[in-house]
Amino acid sequence: MTIQECYAAIGGDYNDVASRLRTDERIAKFLFRILDDGNMKMLCDCLEERNLAEAFRAAHTLKGICMNLSLTKLNTSVVAITEVLRGREEYGDDIAPLLEQVKKDYELTMSGIAALKAETAAE
Amino acid sequence: MSNSKDKKKILVVDDSEINRALLSDMLSVDFEIIEAEDGLEAISILHDQEMEISLLLLDIVMPNMDGYEVLAKMNQTGWIKNIPVIIISAETGGTYIDRAYDLGAIDYISRPFDERTVKHRVMSNFMLTVKQREMSEMLSAQIYEKEKDNSLMIEILSHIVEFRNGESGLHVLHVHAFTEMILKELVKKTDKYPLTFKDIRLISNASALHDVGKITIPSEILNKPGRFTDEEFTIMKQHTVAGAKMLGDIPFRGNEALIKIGYEICRWHHERYDGRGYPDGLKGEEIPISAQVVALADVYDALTSKRVYKAAYTHEEAIAMILGGECGAFNPILLDCLKDMADKLKQELNVMSFGVNTANSIHESVTQMLKNEGSDMSNRTVKLIEYERMKFKYLTDISSEIVFEYIAVPEMIQLSEWSAETLGLPPKILDPVGNELWNRRFNKKNFVDFLEKMKKTTPEHSVVSEKYQLSISGNKKWYKVIAKVLWSDSEIPEFEGAIGKIVDINAEMNMIDYLEEQANCDAKTGLLNHAAAKRCISNILAQGGNKKYALVVFDLDNFKGANDVYGHLFGDEVLDAVAQRLKENIRRSDIASRMGGDEFMFFIEYKDSVVPQIQRIFDCITQKYKHFDIGISMGIAYTDGFEGDFDELFKRADAAMYTVKRESKKSFRFYDDSMKDLLEEKKG
Repeated sequence: MTIQECYAAIGGDYNDVASRLRTDERIAKFLFRILDDGNMKMLCDCLEERNLAEAFRAAHTLKGICMNLSLTKLNTSVVAITEVLRGREEYGDDIAPLLEQVKKDYELTMSGIAALKAETAAE
Repeated sequence: MSNSKDKKKILVVDDSEINRALLSDMLSVDFEIIEAEDGLEAISILHDQEMEISLLLLDIVMPNMDGYEVLAKMNQTGWIKNIPVIIISAETGGTYIDRAYDLGAIDYISRPFDERTVKHRVMSNFMLTVKQREMSEMLSAQIYEKEKDNSLMIEILSHIVEFRNGESGLHVLHVHAFTEMILKELVKKTDKYPLTFKDIRLISNASALHDVGKITIPSEILNKPGRFTDEEFTIMKQHTVAGAKMLGDIPFRGNEALIKIGYEICRWHHERYDGRGYPDGLKGEEIPISAQVVALADVYDALTSKRVYKAAYTHEEAIAMILGGECGAFNPILLDCLKDMADKLKQELNVMSFGVNTANSIHESVTQMLKNEGSDMSNRTVKLIEYERMKFKYLTDISSEIVFEYIAVPEMIQLSEWSAETLGLPPKILDPVGNELWNRRFNKKNFVDFLEKMKKTTPEHSVVSEKYQLSISGNKKWYKVIAKVLWSDSEIPEFEGAIGKIVDINAEMNMIDYLEEQANCDAKTGLLNHAAAKRCISNILAQGGNKKYALVVFDLDNFKGANDVYGHLFGDEVLDAVAQRLKENIRRSDIASRMGGDEFMFFIEYKDSVVPQIQRIFDCITQKYKHFDIGISMGIAYTDGFEGDFDELFKRADAAMYTVKRESKKSFRFYDDSMKDLLEEKKG
């Protein structure tokens, strides 16, 4: 699997990321780092604890990462939850479905990246 | 730029590690990257390396301290003037950017990062700042050169005059220094003459021109040894008007202020305050202050110098003559200045030489100018600061003392490398009051106390010291904390922090403790005396708590017999042996005392039952001493379930001992309610 194929599988924009980050090595290097990133977990934990301010921060940071790596699909659902959480003071029923979508997209993205990493390591 | 040592530093502040790494990856070819994960860390890094950081990349949304707060802080400290800030954020709303610009950010990079954009923005902003710094350095060098040229030209001109006049070259120099000192004193004394530092410099420089008109006076008159005829004096007086005319006629007007002041000085430095001077007979404040001061300087130097027609007067004689009005009338305020400055004048004018003065005054005026214009810190200064820091670090590291710096805003403690290692702490402790590790070493109560003491100092008396028991090396030991508090030099001084050290004084304090213990001890046995023991036990009782103690009193059953049969010396030996046996059988934390005569008391802690301990002590003490059979009667009272003071507890133990004595001797008993009557009896 090439990086290009990986991006197609996880709904990312390869052309965009390639034009900005310039080399496949660099793209791969930072893609793999997301596997260890804690912001998704923090988002889920904070929402569970109803700590909306911190949840916003985590979502916001995640959004920055998605944008930098042109993870378009994941970015769309992260942006949605970020905007709902911005300045939010009370938890509401609208949040859970948004989080579900983020989780779904995150899982898809992570499994795609993990597969790429496994193949890269095998070579 | 390829040499890593020469790489300029960029501080990247972003809470996402991936984003920091990405920026670092893009920029590390050209720059050295320092990373901070939130605003607080950024501020602490800036505090340390303000001079070395060439550029700041700053995220807005961050925990602890966000990007706006960092910008606000940089405005407060003035860092924003020296360090360009580029904002990075996924926020695209216009107000976000505007607010950052308002706070002094110079540029903006939006996510997602594009390598070319990032590199280009950083590089061009960096170049801009570097150029600005270089320009300001060039500017200061040029100002220096220009000032040097100006002074030099004036000096040459004045020397020509003096040379022709047969005076020593020092006259111009003395008048210059005198004028400057009197003017500085004058502005301290009164605000009647609104002279800035720049004005004073100009007047002092222009003072050198005061006799330039003498170039037009024939040298036979100029250097005539005897008194002038009226006619000669009239010609001589013309040097004032002639000098003023020379300056007035100067075709180019490059330095108008200097020429204007020079004109005043040339023309009117022989006017007097009462209107009896020449050439115009101006009176009082009609005479410009520049000319008034130079007139005074001229007279003083003329008096104290040797001339063809007179010998030199001493400094004291000259001052007395001027104050006595022998050289004409002067402005009373200036005479006051002269009186107050008399000693300093004598000193300064004595040690003067030409080159030094020029260099000094130019140096002073350049530094002053740069300060006034608010120019950037030049690279040379940065190097000096780095050098000083290196020296400081070396000295603190070899001193083997715990050296600390306390910074009030943002609150943090910085330790020297050696200190941090010794304490097992990080070199930088943010928010020390809330820091677990720091509190474990210093104890929060002590720290808050010392903080209070520091804040109570004043800029005049800014050193404070206090002794504390600190757990710096695990165990509690005595330390002395000494600090010099740093107050800002603003009108209302602000508490900025402190530098200080922590010194181990445990040995001294142990000595004091030892001496105290000596005072508390019974001389014969080395046990505590009654009063000291009572004090210690009372303290423990007052503290309360769950620990269980027993108070035990005993005396020797047949001590009188030992004294009678074997003599007093042997009696003392027996007491000593009992004391030693007692000491060996209790713990260090327990309390043992000889109350007097053959009566002893001890106070011990126990867990479940005290009986085994008591039995052991009893058995040990009652062993034979050199064929002498030691018998004791011992009474014991528990603190468990007892609420009262030492005296009441003591009475219980005493009652128990009394019961032993009455019944069987050579035994021990615990106090119980059956002995209540004895307490009453004793009270009665």
